[in-house]
Amino acid sequence: MNVFPSALAAALLPVALLAQVQAVRPVDFATEIHPLLQARCVSCHSGDSAQAGLHLDSREGLLRGGKDGPAIVPGKSAESLLILKVTGQHGTPMPPSGPRLTPDAIAVLRAWIDQGAKWDLKAGSADQPANIAPRNPPLPPGDSPNPIDRFVEAYLRGKGMAMPPPVSDAVFARRAYLDIQGLLPTPEQLQAFLADKNPRKRAALIERLLADREAYAENWISFWNDLLRNDEGVVYEGERKSITKWLLNALRSNMPYDRMVQALLNPVNKDDPDGFLIGVNWRGVVSASQSPPMQASQNSAQVFLGMNLKCAACHDSFVNRWKLRDTYGLAAMFSDAELQMVRCDVPTGKMAEPGFPLRDFTVPFDKSLASRRAAAAKWFTARENGRFARTLVNRYWKALFGRGLVEPVDDMDAAPWSQDLLDWLAWDFAEHGYDLQRLISLIMTSRAYQMPSSTQGENAKEYVFYGPRPRRLTAEQFEDALSCVSGDWRVLTPRNEAFAQYTREWRLKSDPLSRALGRPIRDQVYTERNTQASTLQALELTNGPLLRERIERAAKALLGELPPPPQNVYDSKFMRHGAAPVDVDITGARDLWLVIEDVDSYDPARVVAGWANPELSGPDGSARLSDLPGPAAPLRQFTTDAGSFSGIQAAAPSVLHWSLQGRNFTRFRAAAVIDRESNRSDINAALRFFVFTEKPEMDRLVRIQGEPPQTPPRTERTAEALVDRLYLHMLSRFPSAGEKAIAIQMATAGGRQPTVEGLEDLLWAMLMSPEFQFIL
Amino acid sequence: MESKSVLFRGMTRRDYMRQTAAAALAALYGPAPELLAEPAPKASADALILLWMAGGMAQTETFDPKRYTPYEPGLESSRVLSTFPSIPTVVDGVRISQGLEEIAKILDRGVLIRSHRVGDLGFILHSRHQYHWHTGYEPPQPLAMPHMGAWIAKLLGPRNPDMPPFIAIGQNMEIGAESDGLKAFHTAGFLGSEYGPFMITDPRDAVASVQPPESMRGGRFENRYQQYRKLIAASPVLREASDYQRESFLRSMDNADRLLRSPAAKAFDLTLEPKESYDAYNTGRFGLGCLLARRLVEAGARFIEVSSEYIPFRHWDTHENGHERAIGMKQWIDRPVSRLIRDLEQRGLLSRTVVVLASEFGRDMMTEGKPGREVKDQVKQPAVMTSPQHYGMHRHFTEAGSVLVFGGGFRRGLLYGETAPERPCSIVKDPVTIPDLHATLYAALGIAPTAGVTIEQRPVYVTKDGKGKPVQALLSTA
Repeated sequence: MNVFPSALAAALLPVALLAQVQAVRPVDFATEIHPLLQARCVSCHSGDSAQAGLHLDSREGLLRGGKDGPAIVPGKSAESLLILKVTGQHGTPMPPSGPRLTPDAIAVLRAWIDQGAKWDLKAGSADQPANIAPRNPPLPPGDSPNPIDRFVEAYLRGKGMAMPPPVSDAVFARRAYLDIQGLLPTPEQLQAFLADKNPRKRAALIERLLADREAYAENWISFWNDLLRNDEGVVYEGERKSITKWLLNALRSNMPYDRMVQALLNPVNKDDPDGFLIGVNWRGVVSASQSPPMQASQNSAQVFLGMNLKCAACHDSFVNRWKLRDTYGLAAMFSDAELQMVRCDVPTGKMAEPGFPLRDFTVPFDKSLASRRAAAAKWFTARENGRFARTLVNRYWKALFGRGLVEPVDDMDAAPWSQDLLDWLAWDFAEHGYDLQRLISLIMTSRAYQMPSSTQGENAKEYVFYGPRPRRLTAEQFEDALSCVSGDWRVLTPRNEAFAQYTREWRLKSDPLSRALGRPIRDQVYTERNTQASTLQALELTNGPLLRERIERAAKALLGELPPPPQNVYDSKFMRHGAAPVDVDITGARDLWLVIEDVDSYDPARVVAGWANPELSGPDGSARLSDLPGPAAPLRQFTTDAGSFSGIQAAAPSVLHWSLQGRNFTRFRAAAVIDRESNRSDINAALRFFVFTEKPEMDRLVRIQGEPPQTPPRTERTAEALVDRLYLHMLSRFPSAGEKAIAIQMATAGGRQPTVEGLEDLLWAMLMSPEFQFIL
Repeated sequence: MESKSVLFRGMTRRDYMRQTAAAALAALYGPAPELLAEPAPKASADALILLWMAGGMAQTETFDPKRYTPYEPGLESSRVLSTFPSIPTVVDGVRISQGLEEIAKILDRGVLIRSHRVGDLGFILHSRHQYHWHTGYEPPQPLAMPHMGAWIAKLLGPRNPDMPPFIAIGQNMEIGAESDGLKAFHTAGFLGSEYGPFMITDPRDAVASVQPPESMRGGRFENRYQQYRKLIAASPVLREASDYQRESFLRSMDNADRLLRSPAAKAFDLTLEPKESYDAYNTGRFGLGCLLARRLVEAGARFIEVSSEYIPFRHWDTHENGHERAIGMKQWIDRPVSRLIRDLEQRGLLSRTVVVLASEFGRDMMTEGKPGREVKDQVKQPAVMTSPQHYGMHRHFTEAGSVLVFGGGFRRGLLYGETAPERPCSIVKDPVTIPDLHATLYAALGIAPTAGVTIEQRPVYVTKDGKGKPVQALLSTA
């Protein structure tokens, strides 16, 4: 290493070199100066607790200087304190630790100052990305036990503001339940929390909510599905692979974040999530910039490092520093074949050199794909890669505060509103094993999180932190909240399983309502939801059939007028072809319903299926179903793998009804059949047959097993008690006298008791209140 | 930058204020797209109706007929170019396929393009080609690309504030395996949901989407809204707050409520149409979609798509028995398309309304994909036909397609482009690519091909990479 022995020598010798630098070329700040400042100076001279008050992370900071005066005088390196310091001619030689700067480096510094000390990050060929080196800034002084608050207090002090009193217990509880579990606290849970005298009860609640790993995982999985563009049931007639099972387990087990990403980028075990690297692929010829390895490159850089390589997937970016070779280099880490670089759809003839876009450090690898992927997994998650932790803590901060420390969250080169807080949070997160639950707990126990929500400064050019922003419920939280309030949960019916289960919204396919509320279809990486209200969304909420139906069921459920769905007496389970015998006891039945459900046939309209040889029997004799008065179902011959049958044809889907009154039948026999004609790839029958003796509910045909995600509410006897309960459950507060009068009037439609219609209207009005739709 | 581009389009001050308020609002919640300042061409149209022939309309069975060979058992597939004779049209020397007699009579009102060069994306996937046509960009893309209707809604806004600016009629979004492919482009993408499609699957039910249901009538709907506003006003929380989110949320509720009670909503109600006219359009859902489109344009709609509906192997996706099915499809479109043009003309609306009929690609009996390029074949077409089922255009042909454009500043009675008379019937004259066709349509609406927004710091344009060039020969201003 070229370390000079004495300050004097350092000051005198580089003169010749200096002349050379000045004569030969202008200094490129972005490649020659900025990295030097970043590497050797800014860890002490930046942020809220910059040493000697000197900030070396901006030109203004250098000009303003610290307690000894300006650090530089542009054009005059000899008079610049920075040079006197690094050459040891003024006070303690800088940097105070590590090797001294080389004469070459000092010469370049001088030349840069003499050339006017231009600060132009974009001018150079490769300016240094921000937020790479991990940094552990000292805690500002103060009494707050939570380090976040020390930084926030120092930040607010700097703005001439103070920390306001925290929100009430009720507001806190609603936030905590929704942020951790995505569910509303029940009135009982809320009141128990309010009555708790434990001074540590907020921390205790956070711990308790996090400890229910199932509820926690089922809330946070939507956040991760958006980032990793994972969805169930979404196919593009090309390759795509779900990682839901792995992701749910990772969240349930609180898998450390670095291990999660290692599994995503280097799936080696059977249960590892290889779907992330596969990406979303449509059949056919795909642009070179969107091949699976190129998608993996862009997505992993965006999601895990807040780095936008999208432009540089086609050509050297015009808007940021990334080059085509950066995107291809990273893609080559995930590609089993050599990758030819293609610029704007024109092959360049050059092969991509596997490597990493940040050149501060690297991880060795050999030629095998296994080695490259393993190296990539290591490189992304290495402690030296401070951007990895910073990107994640910033995303979580945004999730819990409505705005990131850095915005946009996908551009981690942008300046945070508090560098120290970002750096410390990231350092602490890495230091504690990338523990996601601990991070949530740390943030939520802070006074900062418990500040009243604020929309202050929303018109201002520069963001000033003054508490969380009010955050809109996500589509999933909105739907689940409605289920919490009514106790009427939606039902998931896996097509191959005997039982259905009550479910939270995230497991179901998106529908026009959830899409209107901002649930993405995840053909892209989504790092934030669109939470903006729009007319189309309001139309769906005001007049859409899906919400109307849910509210109708909710009103009935709250009034005890929603009987459990009738149970089938026969369920064929999933069938693609053949025949299944039906032989069921129907003693006492007054009606018979034969149902065929379509469970994703390719072309249901052309499916040929039906009920073969349907027969009823009992003590008073037997009859063919077709001889009973009933629907005019055509008779036909069915040919199946299991033989030939005659019977009645029924569409997919179909519901056929016969009245059996007075015939005293005790048994129904038939065969559920799918004709061989439907066994073609362009029809591809996929059906499920059911027999009911009561009118079936079409979305609850399969028997439901298990408990709903939250205990259903008690049925209230009076309108007043019902209104109180709704306010407590939906808004975590009692109604004011004025609200109560209006709400009771609505629920009872002017009468004494709540009516279904009245309650529907009240529920709708409360669901549409901003107070309900936002986490305040 | 925002104000410049908006003012360039000659908007009123009120529109301008509304747009900038929305932009200020949007800026709060994430990276809002910022309009690029682009001088706009002078608009010759205010509205656009896209008649979408979903599934791949066979050009040789419709608007680009070739030599007709009638069916007989033992006929070699390679001998057949068209399965219908051609008929004359009102334009001298231009013949189209039998079964389109009504459209033949109004062809003098527009342009017939026989040289539309659609995308060739390899192994055919309809939803992917449709995404390409509707957004101008081939999927997958690293950004959620907006549908053409969303671009128009964003750049021009509504014509009538009580009428959604982007209405999509006729396409069910749950069609099995390709549902998500359809959803991927029926979206405003990064422009934000305000500009997304207002979807009407069945035109006969259209009124239900803008009118409260039976159970909400008799004053209940109005009463519910009044009580709702009272309840909000009585809330002790947020009473003083005038924050954007709450305001914008309540404003959106007001907008929806106003729309649901607006006289414009009557346009959605097909039962209000005189019987003669209803029957004339009623060849099925597509025909009624054309009727609905006419009513909506009359009421001030900006962009309307009427889809013949894509369902794999149905409608224009003729994998078998293509001749018979083409008869049915032509019956579906012939009368209503012709009636739509006549009605718009009669009402004086055609001169300011562009009506375009297009499809994701053409079809052929022999060539799958592009001539000379091997792609995986999806249809077994026998070399020698033994059944009428074999007689038809069953393969996907990505070399050429036909497009009709009427009204809104497009020329009248013009035939543009040409394909070869013999297989593979490639384009031999004046190819019109997707970017150029789009640029021409946008130009008629007063939108430059380089109009667009900045998203994630990069510019994204209405035509791919801003490179579309209006085909001046198609425009009467040329």
